[in-house]
Amino acid sequence: MANYYNIDDILAEEEFVPVVFHKAANGVVIDPSSETNSVEQGAKVELPLWLAQELYLRQAISISVPACFSQRTRLEIQADAACVDLKSRSPYFYEFGCKIAPLVGDKTIEILLLSAFKIRYKEILTKAYTAVFTTTSKFLTLLTKEETNLYEAAQASMAAFKKWRMGGPRLQRASVLGRKRKPLD
Amino acid sequence: MAGQSDPHISLFSAEEVEFMAEDELIEIVPNLRMDPLNFICGDFGPFLPQIATQVPFWLAVALKKRGKCAIRPPQWMSVENLTQVLERERESQGAFQVLPFHYVEISRLLFDHARDDIPDMYMVRSLIEDIRDVRIHKVETSLEKFSGTSAVKIPNLSAMEVNIIRPFVGRALQAFYKHDNPEKIPDVDRASSAQTRAANNEPRMIMAEEFYNYIQVSKRFFFFFWFAAATEEITNHFQPASDEGTSVLLETLFGESYLVPFSL
Repeated sequence: MANYYNIDDILAEEEFVPVVFHKAANGVVIDPSSETNSVEQGAKVELPLWLAQELYLRQAISISVPACFSQRTRLEIQADAACVDLKSRSPYFYEFGCKIAPLVGDKTIEILLLSAFKIRYKEILTKAYTAVFTTTSKFLTLLTKEETNLYEAAQASMAAFKKWRMGGPRLQRASVLGRKRKPLD
Repeated sequence: MAGQSDPHISLFSAEEVEFMAEDELIEIVPNLRMDPLNFICGDFGPFLPQIATQVPFWLAVALKKRGKCAIRPPQWMSVENLTQVLERERESQGAFQVLPFHYVEISRLLFDHARDDIPDMYMVRSLIEDIRDVRIHKVETSLEKFSGTSAVKIPNLSAMEVNIIRPFVGRALQAFYKHDNPEKIPDVDRASSAQTRAANNEPRMIMAEEFYNYIQVSKRFFFFFWFAAATEEITNHFQPASDEGTSVLLETLFGESYLVPFSL
C-alpha cells in the first residue's frame, strides 16, 4: 500500500509469480481452459503478485522464486550485468525483486539486485551524458523501467541546460497578450 | 521543495538558477545621478556618475539595458586567471578549482548584456566554455566512482553543475539506498515521509538557496514599479484605460519584460 496511486508500483505488482495452492478453492477461474471452476490442492499456477501477496498472507498458497530470478539469470548478471536484457525478464526488475524477496524468503535476491544495479548504473551514467541518441537506442531496449527513468532524467537535465546555453528567445509572450479585445457594443 | 517549473523531478530549470544568480553583487559605474535605493536585500547607492558602486546583478542588467551604467567584469573573469584555472583544471583529475558559485550564469548574463564592457570577450568566452566542459566531464567521471555509499562529497561544484546532475544523482542514490538497506524502506506515503527520511539519513540533494528563493521574486517587481512611478514621463505613455496600457501592466507583472514603452 506504500504507493497506492503510483502507476509504476501498480504495474510492478502485475508481474506473475509461480505459486502452489495449499487449499482447494471453489468458484474461481484461474485457468480459462480448465473444465471446472475450481482449483485443486497442490495445483501449480501463475498469479499476479498483488493476488499472490494477499493469498500468501492467508496461508492459502506458497510462492516460489519467479523465472526472472532464476539461476541462469544470476549467472548472466555475474558475467556481465550491463549486457543482460533485464527488460524482457521483467520491466520492473528491481521493484519486483524488492517486493518478492520477503515473500519467498530469499536474501540472495537483494544482493543480486544491488550488484546488478552497481554495474548497470555506470553504464547508464556514461551513456546518458555523453553518447548520441542513435548509438544508445539499442542499449535502451535492455533497460528496465527504473533504469529508463534514471537515464531520461539525466538526458532531460542536460538537454535543458544546452537549450539555456544556446539562448534563443528569452522572453515568451503570454498568450493572452496577443489577442485583441472585442469591442463592446 | 524545489523549483516551480517541474514539481516532479525536483529540479530547477536553468532559468531559475539564472534568476538566483542575479542576486550576486557586481560592480557598476553609473552615468546617472540617483539617490540610494533601499531594498529588502540591502541598501545600494548613491549613484553618482563615474563613481563605482556595488549592486545586485539584476539591477546592473536593468540599468545597463537603459544605458545608465557600465558593468565592471568581476576579478576572476580575466584572461590570465581563466587560463590558469583551465590549466589546473586539466592537470588535477579529482579536484575542482575554486570558481564563483554562479560562474556559468554570471558569464552568460555578462555575454548577453554587457558585451562592450568585457575586454577580450571572445577569448574569455571560449575559455569559460572550455573550463565548463572540462568540469562537467570531471563530474561524470567522479560520479562513476560511487557505488552504494550514502554520502557523496564533491567540493567546489557550481550551481549549474549541481543542477545538471541533480535529478540523476538523486534517483541513483535513492536506488542505491533502497537496495543497500531493504528493510529500512519507510512504508509510508511519499508525501509524509519527509521526517522518516531525515531520521534515516536517506540521501537528498539540497541547495541552501532553495528556501531563500521564495522571498526573492517579489522584491524585483516592486523595484520596477517604483522605477516606473518615479519617472515623470510614464504618464505620457501609460494610459490605463486603453488597450495598450493594460498590456504594459500585464507584461510588467508576468515576466522579465519590464521594458515598458517609456524612456528615462
